[in-house]
Amino acid sequence: MALNRRRILHGASMGGLLLAAVGCGDEAAPAKPGDASKPGANTEVNSATGKGTPTVAAFTGAPLEIKASDKELLEAAKPEGKVLVYSTTDSASAKPLIADFNARYPEIKLDYQDLNSTDLFNKFTAETAAGTETADVLWSSAMDQQMKMMQDGLGGSYQSPEADKLPQWARYQEPGKTAWGTTLEPFAFVYNKKLLPADAVPKDHTALIKLLTDKTDLLKGKVTCYDPEKSGTGYLANSRDVTNFPAFWDLAAALGKADVKLYTSTGTMIEKIQSGEHIFGFNIIGSYILPKLKTDAETFGMVFPQDYTIGFSRVAFIAKKSKRPNSAKLFLDHLLSKRGQDILAKQSLLYPSRTDAEGEATASGLQKELGDKLKPIPVSNQVLDALDQTKRLAFVEKWQKALGRS
Amino acid sequence: MMATIPATLARNRMRKLPSGRYAVVAIVAILVLSPLLLIAYQSALNGPFFAESSRLDSGAWQYVLGARQFWRAFGTSAVVATGMVGIGVPFGAVLAFIMVRTDIPGRRILEPAVLIPIFLSPIVTAFGYVVAIGPVGFISLWVKSIVGSVPWNVYGLPSLIVIAALTHVPHTYLYVSTALRSVNPELEEAARTLGAPPWRVALDISLPLVRPALLFSASLTFLLGFELFGLPLVLGDPAGLLVLTTYLFKLTTLLGVPSYQMMAVVALSIVVVTLPLVIIQRHLLGQASRFATIRGRGLALRPLKLGRWRWVALTIVMAWLLLTVAVPLAGILLRSVVKGWGEGVSLSRVLTLDHFRGLADYPNLIRGIVNTIALGVIGGAVSVACYLVVGLTQHRWASRGVAVLDFMVLIPRAIPGLVGGLAFLWLILFIPALRPLRDSMIAVWMAYSTVWLAYGLRLISTALLQVGPELEEAAQTAGASPMRVRWEITIPLVRLGLIGSWLLIFMMFVREYSTGVYLFGAGTEVIGSLIVSLWGAGGLDLIAALSVVSVAIVSVALATALRLGVRLHD
Repeated sequence: MALNRRRILHGASMGGLLLAAVGCGDEAAPAKPGDASKPGANTEVNSATGKGTPTVAAFTGAPLEIKASDKELLEAAKPEGKVLVYSTTDSASAKPLIADFNARYPEIKLDYQDLNSTDLFNKFTAETAAGTETADVLWSSAMDQQMKMMQDGLGGSYQSPEADKLPQWARYQEPGKTAWGTTLEPFAFVYNKKLLPADAVPKDHTALIKLLTDKTDLLKGKVTCYDPEKSGTGYLANSRDVTNFPAFWDLAAALGKADVKLYTSTGTMIEKIQSGEHIFGFNIIGSYILPKLKTDAETFGMVFPQDYTIGFSRVAFIAKKSKRPNSAKLFLDHLLSKRGQDILAKQSLLYPSRTDAEGEATASGLQKELGDKLKPIPVSNQVLDALDQTKRLAFVEKWQKALGRS
Repeated sequence: MMATIPATLARNRMRKLPSGRYAVVAIVAILVLSPLLLIAYQSALNGPFFAESSRLDSGAWQYVLGARQFWRAFGTSAVVATGMVGIGVPFGAVLAFIMVRTDIPGRRILEPAVLIPIFLSPIVTAFGYVVAIGPVGFISLWVKSIVGSVPWNVYGLPSLIVIAALTHVPHTYLYVSTALRSVNPELEEAARTLGAPPWRVALDISLPLVRPALLFSASLTFLLGFELFGLPLVLGDPAGLLVLTTYLFKLTTLLGVPSYQMMAVVALSIVVVTLPLVIIQRHLLGQASRFATIRGRGLALRPLKLGRWRWVALTIVMAWLLLTVAVPLAGILLRSVVKGWGEGVSLSRVLTLDHFRGLADYPNLIRGIVNTIALGVIGGAVSVACYLVVGLTQHRWASRGVAVLDFMVLIPRAIPGLVGGLAFLWLILFIPALRPLRDSMIAVWMAYSTVWLAYGLRLISTALLQVGPELEEAAQTAGASPMRVRWEITIPLVRLGLIGSWLLIFMMFVREYSTGVYLFGAGTEVIGSLIVSLWGAGGLDLIAALSVVSVAIVSVALATALRLGVRLHD
């Protein structure tokens, strides 16, 4: 049975690749999350490749079956003994996931290094070029940098058996390379409840412009957001704002009038909203606020903008030159598995993308709440647009002008 | 001038080991110049040097030198550095005079305390300032409750200059006070006998005599002003203020992926600014003045009686300590024991020890703390030994080699940590012989030792300069080989100085942060690099707790040293 499932899925992976190669042009319009989770999608793949007859167990993802296939991979991974992960998810958030992996696979030593996204990129690219020891799995929130590494051929291919539970936008499958969007984390409005009256809290971006213009006295110097010049995440969010919100440049001008304070680190922004140095934060990562909502509910307020809420994803892939490919697969499977994603939803509060993930913070929960107003940034080559230097510099110039700071 | 004749004599005799000396110069050159050359090479390419598609290209130079922001940042850096020299060096000199020459009350306690600011990591200090005297800092709120508003703004150019200047005062203090201690006190005594008030003695006699130390402090402070990163990041960013290093930081993400060639150009521009400085400094000093002031050991000096000015002096020193040590430390300490702070927060209700308990949950943080201590204690000792070898190479050696060494040791300090750390990673990755060092603490240690080379060497050579040449000469005349003279005469004589240097290097290694970011892996974490990686994700609870631990380590080291009676300088 175990053997069977792996073969089937191997077949599925081939088909998946073909389909993705054909269909990748459509990714500009993010597929509705949820579609892909229908068992039908997978059946088609299998019939397309004509390999094997899918069993019911394979599709319902019954825990027993997963374990069985794991065993085979585990046997292959055991001699490797270790998996090295570079990640932007700080050890604090990733801790439950790491602990669970360790408990489940005591034979495999999980070496988890958290770095900021630029350091991760610098380190991994240099190490790969030098051919020295480097990460087996890359898990980073800098979607554009992740896709750049895929484009540069640093990412390998692995059709995880868990991947069919991911929504379409979270799958990147091209010949010889695959990457997976593990989470869908919303950019939110975050404010200090003690300092911003409840009736003034904006529900969408238009209301935000109005708030910034009406309450300039209260908000002057007390609004914060990412500096798109210094923060890749900030730029990624803003480049989506531009396409989703026609009045974005009015918003930028209003931010400039409110003397917006720009930062590179989420932590600084959250800290300063909490302390009251700032009152309102635009495009703050929701998953970082959730734990704060628990520990300091009387201070923090969070709103997902009703007109559109952008979500980015922590993208994971296996290094092409991974020296421990089986352990790498084991970790990736774990990350994408129901069990792993449930941990991300319940304990790490990272909004895992898997459609059947259950817990407090899930992408499907967001989907239910926001419907088609939720705009995931698809894991696709389209993200590479963000790296177009000409566009980037043009945006920055326009941004500074709108802010009145050029 | 008394020393000149015997020194020349000794110099002639000690020329016997030039080959060893040149070998040391060569090793230092390799260590210092290889990162610099790699950066220079990278700046002339159109992509990462390790990418096959990269070609020679002047685009990066053209872009950076043509960018208005670069020049604006350059200007701001120059203003900050000049301001730091203008405020910090005179203040440091006065501080040194007060501490070394006067009867200021409580000198024994103040002496180690004035060095504390250099042992605090700037990014942590800056954050401490925000918690304490930021717009909603606890001190600000307290002042606001009394006078109705906060009469200062911690963000912006003026406060950046003042805070940077005041926190860099100990550098000047360290060098000037050491020099003052070795100035022949007879001259000052003479002036005092003739009735000169303390300030005239200081301005007309003592400080001119330590001109070399002042000049060195000025150029070091200027250089550190260009290299400043943590303070402008935290205190300048909210005001939209860009200095060269934060501009460099911006280049890592401006184009989405780090633009190594542009970063290299900016890093080189900082080196280019600082090198002429070293040349000017050497020119001003000449050769002989290095030795001229170093005499008169053994003469006990009566401290200058300040009279009622004692309390004024004490107030000045205390006010400075309050602003540069107490305020940021209070901020950090407070942040480490609360869940939240700021406007409308009753601090007594949010007190917690969870952040410290949290540290125990992360094996990497605990390892980081252990590694940091080991790196400081063992690595620090080895570094001091290496600096001693370099110092002995320069010792009583009249040669171009000394000038070359003096020149080179400052280079690592001039390369911004953001680029320097990366260059070290590249070297270790791409030089096969170094590869085995990767993932060991040795790589981190090498980077740290190189970065603090100038600082450590200065400490050692100051100690060495205080060894009178007579004993060395006597041994030499009795037929001892140059090696034996060093081993049996010189080194034992500077023993105490070495222990003091070890302690200072230990504390520097504990606070260092940007250099190790790329070199750490599982098992080789250090506190500094952990703070940097936590910073991005916003783990400020843990950062505050880690910072307090790091300050505690430094304090324990200081206290131990004082108990053992180690002089921190001399």
